[in-house]
Amino acid sequence: MKKVIRLVSVQLWAILGSMFAIGESKKKKTKALYVGFALFVVILSGASFFYAYMIGMGLKLYGSIDLLPSLFMALTSIIVLFTTIHKVKGTLFGFKDYDMVMSLPVSNSQIVASRLLLLYSINLVFVIIVMLPMMVAYGLLNGPRIQFYVFSILMLFFIPLIPIIIASFLGTILTYLSMRFKYSNIVYMAFSFLLLIAMIIMPYFLGNSEQALVEISQIINGQINSIYPLSELYSMGVTKGDLLSILIFIVVSILSFMVFSMAVGKVFKRINSTIMTGRYRANYKLERLKSSSPLKALYIKDLKRYFASIIYVMNTGFGVVILVLGSIALAFVDITTITGGLDITGTIRDMIPLFFTFCIATSCTTMASISIEGRHIWIIKNLPVSTLMIFASKILVNLTIIAPALLSSIFVGIILQIPFISVLLLLLAVVSFSLFMAQYGLVINLSFPNLSWSNETVIVKQSTASLISVFSGIGMTAIQYLLLMALGNAVSGMLLFIIILLILNLLLYKRLVKDGKRQFEKLSN
Amino acid sequence: MLSIVNFSKTYKGGKKAVDTLNLDINSGDIFGFIGHNGAGKTTTIRAIAGVLDFEEGDILIDGVSIKEDPVKCKRVIAYIPDNPDLYDHLTGIGYLNFIGDIYEISRVDREQAIKKYAEAFELTANLGDGIASYSHGMKQKLAIISALIHSPKLLILDEPFVGLDPKASLTLKNIMEELCKSGSAIFFSTHVLLVAEKLCNKIGIIQDGRLVAFGPTQEVKGDSSLEDVFMELIETK
Repeated sequence: MKKVIRLVSVQLWAILGSMFAIGESKKKKTKALYVGFALFVVILSGASFFYAYMIGMGLKLYGSIDLLPSLFMALTSIIVLFTTIHKVKGTLFGFKDYDMVMSLPVSNSQIVASRLLLLYSINLVFVIIVMLPMMVAYGLLNGPRIQFYVFSILMLFFIPLIPIIIASFLGTILTYLSMRFKYSNIVYMAFSFLLLIAMIIMPYFLGNSEQALVEISQIINGQINSIYPLSELYSMGVTKGDLLSILIFIVVSILSFMVFSMAVGKVFKRINSTIMTGRYRANYKLERLKSSSPLKALYIKDLKRYFASIIYVMNTGFGVVILVLGSIALAFVDITTITGGLDITGTIRDMIPLFFTFCIATSCTTMASISIEGRHIWIIKNLPVSTLMIFASKILVNLTIIAPALLSSIFVGIILQIPFISVLLLLLAVVSFSLFMAQYGLVINLSFPNLSWSNETVIVKQSTASLISVFSGIGMTAIQYLLLMALGNAVSGMLLFIIILLILNLLLYKRLVKDGKRQFEKLSN
Repeated sequence: MLSIVNFSKTYKGGKKAVDTLNLDINSGDIFGFIGHNGAGKTTTIRAIAGVLDFEEGDILIDGVSIKEDPVKCKRVIAYIPDNPDLYDHLTGIGYLNFIGDIYEISRVDREQAIKKYAEAFELTANLGDGIASYSHGMKQKLAIISALIHSPKLLILDEPFVGLDPKASLTLKNIMEELCKSGSAIFFSTHVLLVAEKLCNKIGIIQDGRLVAFGPTQEVKGDSSLEDVFMELIETK
């Protein structure tokens, strides 16, 4: 156990060191990241409290307030499960320091346990941020006894274990299946997207009108209890003070963790060996080559790099996938059935640009496109191409990823019979906002580069650049909403938003040409 | 071909890695850059290659400053770092074709060059495989091939023989000599003093960021071996 804890602490320090630039003279940037992280915690916990309180009030009306803790525990578990699946490849399998770790005198099971505990540590932070505000909301609404708080706090440490094991199990199967294919990453990503989409679509099959709130809770609770019996144990333990339930929950979690670690330990080396070595044929014969322009060559190289990273695609491609599927769904789903009979087509028409902005904001690939070069940065720095061409290639990749949004905007315009001028404005907004996010992400990444990462998750999800990019995207959506509200007219609001974007795009371009070029030249690993 | 003028590089924290370095390499020269670990060899090489930014002094390649027109300079040089980390997501041939596109080598020329050098380094059969599956030596060979296919006027290599098998080392030495005969210049660092002594017509020894010996190999080593000269310089530090 001592060895496992030592391994976890080393890996955690590597991640934290990479995130917060520990040991480096980047005080200003580190401070910015601390502020960003604090902001993230405040927003997430605030949202959690808000939702917990609102749902709790609804449940209290129907005398079902005790459903709140188990409902939140189940929801948190599901979020942990789905956000962990795609982290399995990169954390448990195919991680960068595999050779170094495997050469240490520790068993495979211990290494697996350390990697799972690494996932656990990261998820524990999320669980605490979400569950603590819920406890406060429940406390305010129901005034439980002190043992509720004691048991709830104790259980915080065990909530993530089972979801992580289930996610790791699914992730292991996905990795195992996908490694048999030539384009294993694409297969892995397709499976992961399908799982996530299924998760999003599922609630709609349950219906979601306001009157059915308690029924939904009970249905969800019942379903979760049947597929995830620990939810029942949690509810019994925390709200009813049943000590035996608490004990069973803890023992089952720890035992599952140990059994899973040992089981994966058996295939760990085999899967990693296959992933690390890749496909090896050694039967190539020289054939006619295709030539391209330097810009196209850089673009193709960057596009391939993007699709080679599961965590990168899963984190920056999902918004566009949702946008496209949502647009297609509009053609088949009657909006009034989703809104409980209310015809809110007009409101949806007004809100559609906001949805596009939000989805595009979550699809910023350039916020990590410099950092992703990592130890390969010497290659592009040594190439006889201008820095601006390198930037252009990275921006083009981002625009390519967002391109389906353009088609979606036309499609949505046709389906919802939006006036031509509004569709045109939506198209212009999509184009200018896509260019804005692509340029903005690059500016941010050049200001906060990280070329010394050992895990892609650090630069895609946990870096200063990614945090700033996410918050700025949300901020831009809010600005668009405020413009819409302030002007009280969708067309004028859109027009002003587009004009603002055009100005910002020009300023960002100037910044890239001047400061961006200088920042790139200073990059070194 | 290469002119380093008062080049200095100080890292964050105040460590001066290279201090007022001056040297000239002409077409046809094979220059061996020697020094102990941390002496400033890699810093100098990375600056010449345009990978490392610097403020003090200048580096001219074919008369053009790498600071003022880096693209023009990079067009005529090729650089191979000590640890060639290549794109794992590409195949060997994909990487060579990428380099061919960037240097705008015609399709026919690049096919011929890839054929010539891949066969010389016995890597042809592996070119269709992902770079992720390559050994260190194979990556080194691929990096060398990618450097050679655009016929550089100045070839910059940092510890090029590390990881190469004996046959590949010999092939590289022959190619280096062949390149110099055709008018190119070679600047490489090495710890294998015997190789430097045999291969180079010019030698430079760097110690704590300062060039302590520079000139034709025969002049630098005199009647002793290069190893003796090097050890003497290190010990009299």
